[in-house]
Amino acid sequence: MTLDTNAFLIILTGALIAISCGFLGVFLLLRKMSMTGDAISHAVLPGIVIGFFVSGSQRSLEVIIGAGLLGILSTLMIDALRKKAKVQLDASIGITFTLLFAIGIILINLFAYKVDLDQECVLYGEIAYLPIDLWITPSGINLGPRITWLAGLNFFLVTGFVYLLFKELSLTSFDEHFSSAIGIPAKGVNLALMSMVSYTTVSSFESVGAILVVALLVVPPSTAYLWTKSLIPLLRLTGALGILIAILGYYLAYWIDSSIAGMMVAVAGAFFFGSALIKGNWPLRLRGTSGTSPAFDS
Amino acid sequence: MITQVPHPVLEVHDLTVSYDQQPVLWNVDLSLPAGQLIGILGPNGAGKSTLIKSIMGLIPPTSGYIKIFDKALPEVRSRISYVPQRESVDWNFPASVLDVVVMGTYGKLGLFRRPGKKEVQVAQEALEQVGMTAFANRQISELSGGQQQRVFIARALAQQADLYLMDEPFAGVDMATETAIFQLLQDMARAGKTVLVVHHDIHSAMNFFEWVIMLNLHLVASGPKDKVMTEELLRKTYGGKLNLLTQVTDLIRKQDFNPLKS
Repeated sequence: MTLDTNAFLIILTGALIAISCGFLGVFLLLRKMSMTGDAISHAVLPGIVIGFFVSGSQRSLEVIIGAGLLGILSTLMIDALRKKAKVQLDASIGITFTLLFAIGIILINLFAYKVDLDQECVLYGEIAYLPIDLWITPSGINLGPRITWLAGLNFFLVTGFVYLLFKELSLTSFDEHFSSAIGIPAKGVNLALMSMVSYTTVSSFESVGAILVVALLVVPPSTAYLWTKSLIPLLRLTGALGILIAILGYYLAYWIDSSIAGMMVAVAGAFFFGSALIKGNWPLRLRGTSGTSPAFDS
Repeated sequence: MITQVPHPVLEVHDLTVSYDQQPVLWNVDLSLPAGQLIGILGPNGAGKSTLIKSIMGLIPPTSGYIKIFDKALPEVRSRISYVPQRESVDWNFPASVLDVVVMGTYGKLGLFRRPGKKEVQVAQEALEQVGMTAFANRQISELSGGQQQRVFIARALAQQADLYLMDEPFAGVDMATETAIFQLLQDMARAGKTVLVVHHDIHSAMNFFEWVIMLNLHLVASGPKDKVMTEELLRKTYGGKLNLLTQVTDLIRKQDFNPLKS
């Protein structure tokens, strides 16, 4: 159990991804749209395949743009099904992402069967291969792991997005009607948030995979929400949890020689259940003496 | 009985609104004077909230148009404030009372700019007006219904607008709070603001409003209270449902029955 360069890079990358996902996840949670993050992470698959088909590379800008467009499309589709066709939100999410994901699978089988773009790589990812995937400039200078750079860029953009649009994001999450009434376009803010979620999902695919991205979007914010009821501490705690999850996830995976990304999510889950046990509204005999009673208010 | 006014604050012209091809407001045509406390009365499903939402541009009209301060809505948005129904938001949202009231200043701030000292002060003054200063740092999830309502009104006040549209601000509010809020609204009207309130209770409407709009899909009446609060127009607005109400009033009058005393 040592902290060498590789360990540091893996933990750093994991933490950057966990924080990026967590910040966006907080707003998804407050909008009761956590599962929309799940939907987006699957629905971007056809966009990735098309981007890959156009550019011929898994690591191109076209892939990110394709995925971003599909992410926005899935958001619009969920919204249209819910508002125009009067389908329940959970059903419209289920319909949209399974359909788009299936189209992605068909496209992979049709066009990309000869190349290295398989479902496993999209779904699971592997952060442990990060130190051998280096970004080397044409002149031969080694700049370090490519995925760490991607995660850093993603972290920078997500933090900037949340910082600049903090008041718009919080108002539209709390009261959509009022924000539209005072001229802050709730729909536009929502689409911007969903685009960031799509981009973050794609950017994190290679390292932690689609399923684990969803966990990072949902679990740390939900855990933090059990502990605090104001927005800034909620974001801070989510960020801190992201770092903790990356460190513990790495060392536990190292210790039992297993998947780092999987262990990160398992650690996040453990934090959540621990918090739920302490803060949840359990019957008194199960709770012991540490439970809080709800504040009485007239 | 529809009284039109010269130089109206708000002019609704031949407005028809429908949900899924089903009209919920038919041909509403009215104009409202400035500096008055105006009530919108009508039974459930009469289109009261729909009227307010279409004035705020939240529901597109099927036909007709609306002019506010003789202009289209986007030009005068900062001069109009809106109080949505209390149930329309989740009060478990992680925010303090002050956080929510400061949201009223966001419209004037514009993109990317953050609320500073000035905005917080405006919010604190608004809280003082509704008597909620002591609750500024309280989590909104810990408020009672009447307190939540006052927070929403404070948020509208923090907007420092000239026209206020309130969707059922008295739903689930006790009598004392209702009277206090009505007095605040009367003060605002006296200061030259126009306050438009969706309301249910005919008796308090009699006491507090100066101008009354009666809706039941169609516009039944719009005019000064004394002219429109007649039994005939109320009956036209509420249909058979008013009978029960008049029966109760008659009973109280006959027997000198006061439920508060017994």
